[in-house]
Amino acid sequence: MELASAPTEAAFVGRRQLDWERLDALVRTAQKRGVRALAAEQVAQFSPLYRNACADLAHAQAVRYSAPLVDYLQGLAAAAHTVLYSGRNRRGTSRSWMRVALEAFPRAVRRHKVAMLIALLLFFVPFIAGLLGSIADPQFAVRIVPEGQLRPLLDAYREGFDTQRGAGTDAAMAGFYVNNNVGIALRCFATGLAFGLGSAFYLVENGLATGAIMGYVAAHGAGANILTFVVGHGSLELGAIGLAGGAGLQLGWSLVSPGDRTRIASLQASARSVVVVVFGASAMLFMAAAVEGFWSSSSLPSTVKRGVGLVMFAIVTAYIALAGRRSARAEATEKSEAARWT
Amino acid sequence: MLRYVESGAPLDTDIAIETPEHIVFRHRVAGPARRFLAYLLDLAICYGAFAAVAIVVLVITVGVAGASATTDSLGAGVGLLLVLAFAIQWVYFAVLESWRGTTPGKAALGLRVLTTTGRPIGFREAALRNVLRAADALPLTYTAGCLSMAGLASMAVTKHFQRLGDLAAATIVVIPNRATKTVPLVLWPPAQPEELAHLSDFVRLDADERQAIELFLRRRKQLGPARELELARMIAPALGARFGLPPGDPSRALALVYDRAANAGRQGDAPPSSGTPGSWS
Repeated sequence: MELASAPTEAAFVGRRQLDWERLDALVRTAQKRGVRALAAEQVAQFSPLYRNACADLAHAQAVRYSAPLVDYLQGLAAAAHTVLYSGRNRRGTSRSWMRVALEAFPRAVRRHKVAMLIALLLFFVPFIAGLLGSIADPQFAVRIVPEGQLRPLLDAYREGFDTQRGAGTDAAMAGFYVNNNVGIALRCFATGLAFGLGSAFYLVENGLATGAIMGYVAAHGAGANILTFVVGHGSLELGAIGLAGGAGLQLGWSLVSPGDRTRIASLQASARSVVVVVFGASAMLFMAAAVEGFWSSSSLPSTVKRGVGLVMFAIVTAYIALAGRRSARAEATEKSEAARWT
Repeated sequence: MLRYVESGAPLDTDIAIETPEHIVFRHRVAGPARRFLAYLLDLAICYGAFAAVAIVVLVITVGVAGASATTDSLGAGVGLLLVLAFAIQWVYFAVLESWRGTTPGKAALGLRVLTTTGRPIGFREAALRNVLRAADALPLTYTAGCLSMAGLASMAVTKHFQRLGDLAAATIVVIPNRATKTVPLVLWPPAQPEELAHLSDFVRLDADERQAIELFLRRRKQLGPARELELARMIAPALGARFGLPPGDPSRALALVYDRAANAGRQGDAPPSSGTPGSWS
């Protein structure tokens, strides 16, 4: 093909320049202040201007116009492309968040129930071992958790809840639970990327330590107090750690056994599928932090607290098991669709 | 589709994106050094804000409750700061990246996060790639994680510098290429008859040759005289064998060849509208 000459190129630029500059201005507005800042007629102009710029780019590449012109058009087309195709990134409306909470999260948990059950076992078997071991011999707990941490906990639970602690301490503790517990859950999920080993480690470690602490306190005669304390937020908190760990195990398993996909594709599919479990688990831990900070430590009668704790357990279990449930066939279809596309 | 596009791609750290309009454009992929700096900048912003809030909290608690700050107001302040510390580690990056595709630190270094298909990322992708920072930080803990061993290893072995979080979320970090429009090259001073005497009247370059010479001419002032001469000496003899080159500065000779090929001897007939003479000395 005859190469375009510089005058031809200059004429081409002169003819098209105005359109490019208009597109450029729209792109800059959208980048700076969001797509919503564009007026209706600007939105209507955007797509034709973008398509024309694409055609210009194709033309410029075909007749080999100068490299800087091609670069300029590439940059313009790429920026406009990013703006034009940002439609999928819709703002989280309250409805979409409700859908995640009421449907997507419990469904995702049920979709990966094997991983979730394994995670719960990995947490609760060491938990029970730690609990029974420490009740039988308090020295067992000391080998798992440093005594310097156990002593103050024991003193706090011996004291009971009658000495009302201030609202300020409650708030500080709630902040601590958010930072510590949600952090543990997210780390427990993320390290599952190491073929599930990180998640398994965090689950076993946290299960053992929690069990040992409770057993140690119980062995020293404050078992009723710690049970009253834990029962309110326990189902939210321990359940959420289990779910986050299960999501991590699923992530790791997708690398161990990718099926008929490449390992990367398998990882991406399972990550997309379990990420909503991580959102849900984090939300559960936020709620648990509020309950633990303000309710569990309050001086209400222990029967009330235990009753509420039982109700909470029932609600959490029913929510995970039942929320967003559809006919078995619809769930099966979704599962096979998810296996293929997500 | 991507693999097909990339088969004839130049050897570079680019990623080719094919759009539904069947246009292929290339994004420059950001490497670890630039991303590390952006990350440090973000951390500086976060912890700067954290320190500012901490000071305000302290001033308020001491100011409200007098010298003997009650445990109540202090406790509330501590709770707030702990939640803030959590947000810095786990929320800041995810929210900003899903909102604008970039964070202040990334924006300062011209970075932007896209999916591997060239689209803006949503909240899922942003949350995923940032929660998985904890995996990238392995075998260290998060706080020491800017050294991010696993992440660096992953960036080293993947084609587009993806850390583990990027791999799982199918994202890339690019440097959006917004080249400003440049004026066409104009030969300056204009070709002298004695220079043209040596040059064939009919100079024809193929597209790659023309592009190579043009890029050289545009870049030569940044190269330094020695490097410019060295490069020009590598190309000029090959062209000289075909078209005959004027003696003297090989760089100038290349400019003459380019001018003749691009303007087809019509220099002056149709002066480029926005060309400033002297842009090409």
